[in-house]
Amino acid sequence: MNFLSLVGIEWNKTRRSKIFLILILATVILWAPSVLNANLNFGMQAEGISPENNFFIQGFMAMAWFLFPATMVVITVMQNQTERSNHGILKMLSLPVGTAKLCMAKFVVLLSFSAVQFLMSAGAYYLSAAIASRTQSYDFFLPPLFVLKEAGVMWASAIPMLAFFWLLAVWIQTPIFSIGIGLTSIVPSVLLINTRIWFLYPMCYPFFVITSEYGKLAANLETAPVRLTPWLPAAGLITVICLSISCFRFGRAERR
Amino acid sequence: MSLVLEFRKVKRTGLAEAFLGGGILAAAVPFLNMTFRSDRYLSANGSPVTILMDANWQMMSMLNVLLTVAGACILYHIEYADHTMQKMNTLPIREVRLFFGKAGVIFTFSILFLLTEAASVAACAARWFGSGPETAARVLYIFGFALLMLLPPILLSLLVSSLCRNMWISLGIGVVCVFAATMLPTRDFVLTLFPFALPFQTPGSLAADAVRNYAIAAAAEAVLIVLLEVIILNVRRLFE
Repeated sequence: MNFLSLVGIEWNKTRRSKIFLILILATVILWAPSVLNANLNFGMQAEGISPENNFFIQGFMAMAWFLFPATMVVITVMQNQTERSNHGILKMLSLPVGTAKLCMAKFVVLLSFSAVQFLMSAGAYYLSAAIASRTQSYDFFLPPLFVLKEAGVMWASAIPMLAFFWLLAVWIQTPIFSIGIGLTSIVPSVLLINTRIWFLYPMCYPFFVITSEYGKLAANLETAPVRLTPWLPAAGLITVICLSISCFRFGRAERR
Repeated sequence: MSLVLEFRKVKRTGLAEAFLGGGILAAAVPFLNMTFRSDRYLSANGSPVTILMDANWQMMSMLNVLLTVAGACILYHIEYADHTMQKMNTLPIREVRLFFGKAGVIFTFSILFLLTEAASVAACAARWFGSGPETAARVLYIFGFALLMLLPPILLSLLVSSLCRNMWISLGIGVVCVFAATMLPTRDFVLTLFPFALPFQTPGSLAADAVRNYAIAAAAEAVLIVLLEVIILNVRRLFE
């Protein structure tokens, strides 16, 4: 069985999971306050950021700091539980498919869910920018290329974090620990983006990237710039380590 | 009876260890903050406990709420996972007893982790601000308030978990609600009454009558959620 059809199968498994309802609910709750408080975007002279840039960046910052990582933890729980209830994983493991391949297929599904969430958020951004432009009689729209580029960079920067969450889900069999460690690891990212060792903590990457962008867009605000040199090797190493351990551990508990 | 039974059920779920770990982690927040940035807080005006709570409570309460949400999901997940719920429903007890038992478990664990955090705040006040034993009463008052504020989110997340057979749905709703709570403006009193936003309040930064209002609101919300659960369970039973 080739890898793509495996990924397709894993996607199909999530069909009746109702996870899209959660993603839609999350997107609505993310953008609704921005629309309701759209007038606040005009009072950002101290930071020196234009209202349309502020409207865009505040929404994506809120998403990157907590909502996005937390929904990703929820998706790993979903992927795990659909397989474990009724011992579906035992049937999967009896197939003539390598466990590492299975594990990576599931990770690709997790990656695609995260991409879907960013796309949904970008779509919701345009919808709420349209409403806010109407209510405030001001053009809040930003060029689609810029929005998609920002969303794409944030998504790419989230890959090490997703690898870490996937490792938690695969390695730790007791759900409360994998969920608990995943969710609590998100909380300190606010502190860690202000330290020099932020690049060692994958959970703060997306938030760091968008905060750095905020500093670029706001004339009077100084934020740490994204420096690729210690970051990319560290991120790559973390991703490779997390994915290799999860491929190695995948299905071990069931095969005992 | 059902409370004892619920405690025995959680034995192998790791819930106790998770709550203990979470409590220690939240208790470490003020300690680490004071270790690395003490000069920032020592020069601040106000009582030591208020300074410590203002500096750290957002993060500590976030950990507390996330833990209770995850705990509530697990408590009902163990019932739904292997169709245990059907067996529970054949027992000659009312289904809401299960809800009360589980609420009792989380509430007891909450007391434990809040006490751990209270001890840490009191220790920080004594170590860095040289506060005497008189701060103990103030710390206990604040954490008693925090326990009351945690009651509505505990009950609401249990209500959601009791309705969703799949753990990820209840966890998803829980984390989205916690996120919504962090997004709500704090100026508007009515909006801060959202159950998941209550635990972020501390009496240190509130006026006396606001403290009373929040306490009444939390108690009222708790009663309402329990009533809602009783109604929903009874109606659901008719259709199953």
